[in-house]
Amino acid sequence: MTRRLAPRSRSRFTRSGWAVSIAVALGLIGFVGAGQWNSSLARQEFITSAQTVLVRRAEQLQREQEQLRTEIEDAEARVLGFQESDAGSQTAQERLNQELAAARLATGLATVSGPGMVLEIADSLREVPPGESPTNYIVLVDDLRDIVTALWASGAEAITISGGLSEGVPAERLVATSSIYGVGSAILVNIAPLSPPYRIEAIGPVGLHDRLMAHPIYIARVAPRVEAYGLQFASEPRDELTIPAFVGNTRLRWGVPVGDD
Amino acid sequence: MAARVAQASLFAVALIIGILLVGQLRSQAPAIELSNLSAQELSTLIENLAASNVGLGDSLADLREQIREYERREVDGQSTLAIGEEDLERIGALGGLRAMEGQGVLVRAEGSFDPKAVNDLIYELRNAGAEAIAVDDVRITARSVAVLGTSAIEIDGVPIDRSFEITAIGSRDGLASALGRPGGILRQLQQSIDARFEVVERQNLTLPATERDLTPHAARTVE
Repeated sequence: MTRRLAPRSRSRFTRSGWAVSIAVALGLIGFVGAGQWNSSLARQEFITSAQTVLVRRAEQLQREQEQLRTEIEDAEARVLGFQESDAGSQTAQERLNQELAAARLATGLATVSGPGMVLEIADSLREVPPGESPTNYIVLVDDLRDIVTALWASGAEAITISGGLSEGVPAERLVATSSIYGVGSAILVNIAPLSPPYRIEAIGPVGLHDRLMAHPIYIARVAPRVEAYGLQFASEPRDELTIPAFVGNTRLRWGVPVGDD
Repeated sequence: MAARVAQASLFAVALIIGILLVGQLRSQAPAIELSNLSAQELSTLIENLAASNVGLGDSLADLREQIREYERREVDGQSTLAIGEEDLERIGALGGLRAMEGQGVLVRAEGSFDPKAVNDLIYELRNAGAEAIAVDDVRITARSVAVLGTSAIEIDGVPIDRSFEITAIGSRDGLASALGRPGGILRQLQQSIDARFEVVERQNLTLPATERDLTPHAARTVE
């Protein structure tokens, strides 16, 4: 005689099986989510209501900045399209287009490729000893300025700085009007706030990485801080890199080219 | 069997939703930890961002006007060479390839400067919105940095004396305010290296073009 499971027993097993599956899935979600929330919540305890308002305003302005730069990038591409397809005198247009291309290449307004190097620097993971200043253990604006100065002095022809771990965060191309500026512990590049880890990419003649590592500014100012405070640091040469064009304000408001009417 | 497959499916779907949710939350986290900044630092950041966004908005408006002009001329079958030539002058001026004139500030500096101090002054002016900068007769380009030469500070291979002038084209008020703010770079250098500064607002300054060849040799344009 074939023995069959009692229907009641089978349904109890099925219900508990479903419950276990859902519970495990929700448990995993909660574990991962808690790790994301915990750090944010700890800092939130210390924010005053006035600071909350300021933080929200700063975040709003950051979003506006990102939107404006996206629109500028699209508009610049359209202008380039017009310039390359003009129906006027072909000889004059071709000459002008060559001059425009050369000017954009020389001034950071063109996406470029070539050999170079990549460098990443981030805050130290060491515990700050009692009595020492915590600011020694984070990447400061002077660190980025020193690295950039040493790169330009080593022959770099194009440099970008990017920050954070999020995908899609645009890299900031350095041009003649670019600032690297500190506001408290925050670092702004081209007035865009960046967070560590900072990634610097540079294109330049072969040997750029070696020249940077041997440059007096790197040796005297950057390397000692990395060593003394454990700033996270990694760098390597690259055979080929692509560096994006500068996206930002390229209009003149206070000055004009000499000879303009 | 069917029940177990259904359970596994529900588990997988719930897990995927959770992962996507956490990823979405993470991507929405602020790029920098703004909560770590003091109220004063946040105010400074807001001031910088607001000013920058005004500039970006103006830039976008100019670009859109330029596009409309291209479209008008395209419809009329007219040449757009003149627009392109204006663009060439503007790009050259901003990049240091062309001389520029306009309002701004003249800073007379004297003291025991090191290259870092000179670079910091240049960064301060850039952050305040300077459209062009020169140190003595050296036009500052993207690649121009002060370094220690054989016997003096040099920029683009040109030595800088103990007394030098920095000229910057931009908003006279904005540049002067940025330089003169309490605790700013001029105050810091006055205290640290006994530097002396005189900041003069000017209606008309002329900055030379760079004498440096900015044509890259390793970097090539990506088409």
